[in-house]
Amino acid sequence: MRKFFRIYQSFTKAGVENAMAYRTSFLCFALGESLYCFVMYFIWKAIFLSSGDSSFLGFSMTDMTVYVFLSNLVGFLISTDSTDNLAEEIHDGSIIMRMIKPVNIDYSILAFELGNKVMVITCIFLPVMVGVEIYRYVTLGYVAFQLGNFLLFVVSVIFSYLLSFYLNLIFGYLAFFLLNIWGFSILKSSIINFFSGALIPLAFFPGAVRLVFEQLPFASLVYVPTMIYMGKYTGEELAFALGKQIFWLLAFVGISRFIWSLAQKRLAVQGG
Amino acid sequence: MIYVDNVTKEFKKVVKESGLKGSISSLFCRTYQTVRAVDDISFHVPKGEILGFIGANGAGKSTTIKMLTGILTPTSGKVKINGQVPYKNRKKYVQEIGVVFGQRTQLWWDLPLTETFSVLQQIYQVEEQEFQKRMAFLNQVLELEEFIKSPVRTLSLGQRMRADLAASMIHNPKVLFLDEPTIGLDVAVKNNIRKAITEINQQEQTTIILTTHDLNDIESLCKRIVMIDKGKIMYDGSLTEMKSKFGKYREVNFSLEQEAEFEKLSFAADFQVEKEDIKVNRSKEKITVTFHAGKISVQSMLSYLLKRVQIKDISVNDVNIEEIVCRMYGKEVTGA
Repeated sequence: MRKFFRIYQSFTKAGVENAMAYRTSFLCFALGESLYCFVMYFIWKAIFLSSGDSSFLGFSMTDMTVYVFLSNLVGFLISTDSTDNLAEEIHDGSIIMRMIKPVNIDYSILAFELGNKVMVITCIFLPVMVGVEIYRYVTLGYVAFQLGNFLLFVVSVIFSYLLSFYLNLIFGYLAFFLLNIWGFSILKSSIINFFSGALIPLAFFPGAVRLVFEQLPFASLVYVPTMIYMGKYTGEELAFALGKQIFWLLAFVGISRFIWSLAQKRLAVQGG
Repeated sequence: MIYVDNVTKEFKKVVKESGLKGSISSLFCRTYQTVRAVDDISFHVPKGEILGFIGANGAGKSTTIKMLTGILTPTSGKVKINGQVPYKNRKKYVQEIGVVFGQRTQLWWDLPLTETFSVLQQIYQVEEQEFQKRMAFLNQVLELEEFIKSPVRTLSLGQRMRADLAASMIHNPKVLFLDEPTIGLDVAVKNNIRKAITEINQQEQTTIILTTHDLNDIESLCKRIVMIDKGKIMYDGSLTEMKSKFGKYREVNFSLEQEAEFEKLSFAADFQVEKEDIKVNRSKEKITVTFHAGKISVQSMLSYLLKRVQIKDISVNDVNIEEIVCRMYGKEVTGA
């Protein structure tokens, strides 16, 4: 086990340094994404103002603001380039450089990406979270932050990230069969955005539709951790939500392993 | 050490009819064609040998290397290296081999070279002391010192290749696969790399399989060669044997005092041999005559030349291996 961590920790370290190598690009990314958050915030504000009510389907304006910023934050935390990176490696054949090393393909990509996540957490996540808490304190007049919810949120985000990683990895492996997955990649993003509640909170969908959406793996990605952070889940509901995340995670890991073993058998390496 | 027995690899390839119509019809109905990239090849390599693996582009060299390194699974046949089957239990197998694909890099593009080496140290679980010793050795033979702190993307091709070679040997592998390790390099760097390969082979008794298009690599590194064409082994044996078998040719290089005198020479007619036994090549001043030494003796060739024309400069050489290989490829193509 220690050996395992020693091996993959070196990938994470390299990942951090790699992210540092392109600081400017990273800062621009952070800035661009924050602007997007504000756009979403103003859209929802307009909706609230025009409805005239102080609460909308159980969400107050404060809730909505927190949801917008937090769900975007979770979006960053769990976003992964594994589809594109893997597909690119398969497309140009450089995947073989990974295969000649005594490491697992998925772990090595994951460990490297975690290095990038370290940057996201320190440079984006922590500042925005503090901002959200200040906002809540100012509008509500008391400290709404709860350590218990936060810890559960951390656990849930980790599950979400792994879920997202393996989901994307599966799409990446498809490149073995399709060789170019650009179209699929776009389709995948739209599906995830819509079904995960990143665009519209799932709570706003009509009953039956919502019930179906909530069982799908996509809901576990953004919606569940965000709702946990906001303290909207308690007791059984909470346990059920986390259980669903674990279930889907195991399913995706299994599927990705299966596809990889299939792919290895019919692997055709492109380009020399 | 390395056993390859009756290995065949087939690929399925989509056959696309030409033109837009073909593109559209292939969207709905695909026809596949089976391509046999490697066709029933067998060879063994003992420990400590450097084997040169040569063949034209698309002959099946890279496919073979990919099967030997565990990337591809053979359609049929057996491969056993180091007592292990490469494509089974890949992780365990690759622990003991080193691979360089000259057209790709295993270095981390945006990181300093030292970082790549320390990641590799962790991946292969090389002890610190062993690692330092190894680095010192590689440093000495490949001269990495001057660029070891620069990001890989800023390295020149020659530097990168030296670094890649070092990276493939950091864990002291028992078998080393070098797929075109000198591609695109200048003569000085090529020499450097050849020297390093020789040294490593001698010091560690590393078994090496080398593919290349540069036959000077083969001549300076390998005693034995395997030549492959269209997926089949055409020749497997020592370099000297190949030379004597296919290389009964000699070449005379000379230049004339007066270039107009070239007209006085008509080799094929004067020696009464067939056209394929003698070949004349003239580039500017330098004239090269390649001839079959079994049919025309070197002596008669020289006296013929000295009698007919005034010679400024002359030398007689063995035909280089490049010429031999060209002839062999040519033979196969024409089916003779």
